[in-house]
Parts: sequence; structure tokens; C-alpha cells
Amino acid sequence: MKRSFPLLAIAALAIAGCGSEDAGGPLIIYSGRSEELVQPLIDTFSEETGIEVEVRYAGSTELAATLLQEGDSTDADVFFAQDPASLGSVAELMTELSEDILTQVDSKFADRDGRWVGTSGRVRTFIYNTDTTIELPQNIDDTTDVRWAGQVGVAPTNGSFLAFVSAMILERGEDATLEWLKALAANDPQEYPKNSPIVAAADTGEIDGGLVNHYYLFRLRAEGEGNNSENWFIPAGDVGSLVMPAGVGIISESDQPEAATRFVEFLLSTTAQEYFAAETFEYPLVDGVEPADGLPGIDDLASPDIDLSGLANVLDDATRLVAEAGLV
Amino acid sequence: MTAGPITTPIEKDASPQGRRSNRGWWIATAVVLLPALIPPISLAWQVVTQGIETPIPLGRLIELFLGTLALTVAVTITALGIGTATAWLTNRSNVPGRRLWMILAALPLVIPSYMAALTIIGATGPGGLLSIWLGVEIPTPYGFVGAWLALSVFLAPMAHLIVTPALRLIDPATEEAAMGLGASSVKVFFTITLVQLRPALVSAGLMVGLYTISDFGAVSLLRFDTFTRAIFTLYAGQIDRRPAAALSVVLMLLALVILFLERRTRSRAGYHLKSTSRRRKRIRLTGWNKTWALTFLGSLVFIALIVPISVLVFWLIRGVSAGQDLGMFWDEIGRSLSVSIIAAVAAAAASLPIAMVTTWKRGRFSNAAETGTWAIYALPHITVGVAVVAFALQWIRPLYQTVALLVLTYVAMFMAQSVATTQDSLRRASSDLEDASRGMGRGPWQTLRRITVPLARPGLLAGSALVFLSVMKELPATLLLRPNGFETLAIRIWSSTGEGFYTRASAASLALLAVSIVPLLALTYRDLSD
Repeated sequence: MKRSFPLLAIAALAIAGCGSEDAGGPLIIYSGRSEELVQPLIDTFSEETGIEVEVRYAGSTELAATLLQEGDSTDADVFFAQDPASLGSVAELMTELSEDILTQVDSKFADRDGRWVGTSGRVRTFIYNTDTTIELPQNIDDTTDVRWAGQVGVAPTNGSFLAFVSAMILERGEDATLEWLKALAANDPQEYPKNSPIVAAADTGEIDGGLVNHYYLFRLRAEGEGNNSENWFIPAGDVGSLVMPAGVGIISESDQPEAATRFVEFLLSTTAQEYFAAETFEYPLVDGVEPADGLPGIDDLASPDIDLSGLANVLDDATRLVAEAGLV
Repeated sequence: MTAGPITTPIEKDASPQGRRSNRGWWIATAVVLLPALIPPISLAWQVVTQGIETPIPLGRLIELFLGTLALTVAVTITALGIGTATAWLTNRSNVPGRRLWMILAALPLVIPSYMAALTIIGATGPGGLLSIWLGVEIPTPYGFVGAWLALSVFLAPMAHLIVTPALRLIDPATEEAAMGLGASSVKVFFTITLVQLRPALVSAGLMVGLYTISDFGAVSLLRFDTFTRAIFTLYAGQIDRRPAAALSVVLMLLALVILFLERRTRSRAGYHLKSTSRRRKRIRLTGWNKTWALTFLGSLVFIALIVPISVLVFWLIRGVSAGQDLGMFWDEIGRSLSVSIIAAVAAAAASLPIAMVTTWKRGRFSNAAETGTWAIYALPHITVGVAVVAFALQWIRPLYQTVALLVLTYVAMFMAQSVATTQDSLRRASSDLEDASRGMGRGPWQTLRRITVPLARPGLLAGSALVFLSVMKELPATLLLRPNGFETLAIRIWSSTGEGFYTRASAASLALLAVSIVPLLALTYRDLSD
């Protein structure tokens, strides 16, 4: 044990060096969006504005629950999340954004009371192996058709799938959604924990198709794979091609509302919107910036109109239905 | 099991002076146990006051529970089998390359279970690295088989590390006598060696089994539905955290039942094994036996080390040649190392009093103290994290999102590992030495420094190495409890795999492996001397 004490001292020093107890210091962002995707953008923001930023990365839902738990005592200034459901569930903690900000983005990608705004869009797609001989789904119900039995990859417990189920609840009601989930469960779906392994599996031919977000394929291609699969944008105009925005809001208790506002404005700036298009392969939501090559225009997608502000109210129901269908 | 000729019952420490010295240990135990007791108790309290309400239908819950139970039993038995076999071969036989195998058998422990699962998937299936090498498609072992294989192979080193010192300290006299009487080496192993290994096997079994219960990474990627996977799903999918907490309590009860059963089968009499430093003759392996031994060790190293590392290197090369950058993570390495080292040292220090009151100084609350350390170990880490967040926000707000609270939680979560190894060391020595020291007028501190700590030392070292590795790999509680911006290597691996950044994930994983190897080498180094 004696030998351990120098080690302890070294470690304590190392920790002290990493400490960050700076009252009133940096802008604190709770980010449900991954560090890999957004940290370069946040670095650009700091360089451009000189505003020091501290980010807490975790899952969007987990951060929303954390914000609710922290309540008024939270240190967070900004909540940057993957989906409207997480944003909506903490809407009561967020302050209304300015007109200048809200008018930049189509109102269907923002909170109806203006407390969060979409920053980039991802589309639900059907990833398929290009060698498949199975007829591609024309609507979301085709994905549970017997012709796809045992061949569809899903991530039933992943945030993006749960947001999609939440949207279906708003579109069709609980009973019809449960029915769809049960049909899916009865069709021997291949369950994965996340989207990226589904895309990888569709690319190798382990499965013929899968329900994912559109940008994972581009990600896989950037890693040097992904040439045996394609995104299929389900044409029927149902939740199968839902555009789900990632978004941002400012916490009412923030002690630096100005810096927070500048960050939100920055996310809607051309710099950031171009970054989303080029680096994360998402849809820019501000006019004048085009999506990555090979993607259909956002207005050309057969995407349904759903009140995204209502997603938060049904998020917990979505998990319950997925569990009832036996997919948890 | 009855105490054979090799065991000596420990007498109850009845002298007034003994009782006084016990009091100090009990106070210390209460202090170090407190943080470990808070999460389980607050969760249990929540269930008592709010009841269990879950969106998952009862039938499905029972299915998940039975699946978890089956996996736990299968993994525990297999990992103990593999770990005992590698320990025996590398310590008791003359298998060629013995010392090298000894290290290689322990190394897979540095690979986190989610990494192990991810690389298994990357190696198999159409387009998998192994499939390409062999020219035949190896199907990906999804479901029970995959989870069982992955967890067994990657947890076997725990058993290897715990059984090795036990094996080395057994007095060879009994075994040699049995051999002299004509017993085969197989018979000697099963009737004499295994019996003496029992306490070590029980510790290793609890460590492996309760780890399996709480694992999320391997089961989720290899697609086997367990209770813990459902709990993670509820946390990730629901804003309301109560249902997940309630289900966690069910897991904790399972752990308590396992501990209770273990205790029922344990011999009543406390005993310590007479240890020796006398050299023994190694068993000579010849002919087929040697071939089998080498095949076994070789395939194990192939599955648990060569395949995962090759897959990581393959992803790295593939990504770099496609123009991906590796990402820099020197800061992450520094943070991972510092919290792991502090937690490892603190856990060792904390485990000494608990190990003392559960071996040498048993009292009325010994069982309770032991149970307390294991209860938290079996909880899914995310549940511990959430419970600590809730507690900290309400009672110790200034500590919320600090490194101090993070490390304290690590110590509470993983202390069971160092308690188990330290108990094992103490059982091998007699408490008489301590009494003699006190009897000769040495003060309590001097006795602690001169007698107790040196005797407990191998266990303290092994325990801190295990805690170090566990903290290096820990993810869910770290995500919830760390200060803002305090990214560790495990967090980097999580965030890059989540979004499909395989190149960076591989680079970070290889860094994690490289850094974790050092304490493991230090641990096995002592064993190599002979």
C-alpha cells in the first residue's frame, strides 16, 4: 500500500488539472447529438465568437430526464438534441426564441410555442442491399409484409425508432400503431441496438433491408464500405419517410442568454448548415443551403405533416407499445 | 464441504482487547460501505413507496428474467472452467511457453464487453474478417450462443487471475501424498486441488456471474434479450425513470438470492488454508495431452485476442485509407487513467476493513457487510448512475457532476472485486499473527502496517488491478456523473461507434487496450518469477 501513495498524489494532480470549477464561466451545452458529429462545429463557434463552451454529451432522452431532475438548479444554458420528443419533454424549462430565429426555419420543424427550433433534418428510410430480389416497400405497412419476413433490420429500442413510433401514434393512434408493431414483431424482424449495425448488415447482405435514418449509409461510405446498399425513400407519404429534425432550445434559467442565443443563431448560419449538409449528410433546414449530392430535395420527399410538438406527449407511450408488442 | 486435514478452524476472537481492536475495523467498514449502500437502499425505498409499474408485460418480464438467469449460469460455469484450466495449465503443467500463456490468458480482460461483441460481429457473417480469412462464411453467433460465448471468453481471465494465486499457495504435500498412493493426476485435481480452490472459485463465480447480470454491451450487440437490456431500453426511451428503477430492484433481489444460496452451501466453519512456498513438481504433459493443451490455449488466444485486435486494426487501416482521421484523445487517456488509478487505490483501501470483518473478525453483521458490497455490483451501471444523480441533487448538490462523486461511485460499484481478492489473501493467513503482534505490545497502526497490510497485499494488488480495468471500461454511470466535458476513452468509443465512426472507435479502443495492459502485466509479473 505504501507504494500507492505517490501514485495517488500524481493522480490527484492530474485530476486537479482537469477540473473545471469556473463560476459563471463557459456556455454549457447539453448535447444529445454525438461528439463525433457536432464537436467540430462547436469548436468553430468558439473560434468565431470567442465564447468558451463546455459540452455534456449523452443520449437525448437521458439528458432530457436529467434536465427535468436538475430543474431550476441546472447549470445548462442550451439543450441540443437529436429529436423533437426529447426537446418537447423539457419545453417547460426552455425560453421562447426570438422571431429572427424562428422565421429562418419552416414552422413545421419548430415548437408550436417557439421554444425550440430544428437545426437539421434526417429522413427515415428503408436501407436495402442492392442484390435483393424482394420488391421494395411502397408504404410502411409493406415492411411488415411476409415477403420481407426475417429480412428487415430494426433497432426497436433506439431513440430514432421510438421517435418514429411516436410519430406513428400521432398519425394513426395507439391501437393502429400497436397493430403495426405486432405485425412487425410477428414477421421475424432482425433486432439491432442501433442504426449503424443495421446499415452495415444490409451492406454485407446479412439482411436484405432495414428501417433506419438516411445518413448512416453516407457515414459507412466515408469509412470505405457501403457500396452494396442504397437508401429507399418510401413513396407513400406516411411516417416511413418522416423528416425528423434535430433541434435546439435555450434553458430559461440560463445565466448567459446572450451567448446561448448566439449559439442558436450560429447553428442556423450558412457555416453550420453547410457543415450539416457536407459532414453529417443531414438536410439543412435554412433556405439557400443544398443537401449532399445524391439526396432528393427535402420538398421532393413524400413526408407526412405531423405536429412534432406533440411527440413528447407520446414518447413514453411509444416505449410502452414497443414493449407490449414484445420488441423490448 | 467439510473441513479436511488441510484446514484449521479459526477461533473466535474473545479477548477484551480483541473486541476493542474489532471495533475500529467495524467503524471503518461502516464508513466505506455507506456510499455502496445508498443506491440500493434508495432504489428499494422507491419501489416500496411507489410500487412496481412497468410498461413491459409480465409474461415478457418472466421470459427476460429466465433468459438472464440461464445466461448467468452458463457464463459462470464456462468462464470458471476456462479460467481454472488456463490457471492450472500455466502454473501446474510444463506446457511449452508457459509464462507467455500465463499473460495471454489474462489479457482479454482489458477488452470491454461491447468492444468484444462489436469485433465478433465484425469478424463473422458475410464480409466478416474471419469469413474472408477462412474463405467460408462463419455465421455471426447472435442470440444466447453469442452472448454466452463472448461473455465466457472475455470474463474467463477474471477466474484465471483469482484462481492462479490460490493454486500456487496450496500445500503440495496432500496432492503428492495422493499421487504417491497411486491416484491419477485427474483424480487428484478433482478430489483434492479443486476442493482447496473452493473459496477462490466462489469469489470468481460471484464476480463473473453478477457481472453477467449487469452487462449491457455484449447482450445488446449480440441481440440476446436480458433484463438489463430492457432496463437500458427504458432509460433510453422514457422520460419517466421509475419503471427502469423498479426493474433494477428485481435484478438486485436476484443477486441477493444468489448470495444467500452461496452462503447456504458454504461450510459453517471458517477455515484458512495452510500456505507454503515449497516448490512443487510440475505435471509433465506428454503426447496428446500436450497437443490438446496447446490447442485449447491457442484457440482461446485466437478468439479472445487475435480476432478482436485484427478487426480493430482492419477497421483502422480501412478507414485511414479512405481518408478518415483518427481523432486525438490524449486528454481522454489522461482522464481515464487518473480516475481509474484513484478509484483502484481507494477501492483497495476501502476493501481492507470489509475483508477483515468478513474473515478474521467475523461478527454479527459480517454477512450483511459482504452482501452490501455485492448488491451494488450486480446493479446495471446506468441504474447506479441514476440513483446517485437523484441522491446528489437532493442531498449533496455541491458534489453533483464532480470528479470526486464520480470516483466515489466507481469505488462503491467495484469495491466487491477487491473485497473478494483481499478476503482470499486473508483466508490464507492466520489472524494469530495479528493477535501476537498486539499481544507483544505493538500499537494498532503498527500492527496494521507490519502485519495486516503485508498479509493482505496480494489480494489488495489483484483487487486494485481488477477495479482499475473495470473503471477504464465503465460507460453508463460515467456518462451520467462526470463533470461537463470530462470525456473518457470509453465515452469516446461509445460516441464514435454509435454514429458509425469505426476508424476513430478502433483507434480509441486500441489506445484503451494499450493503456490497460500495464497494470495487468504488473499483476501477472509476480507470477512469472517462478
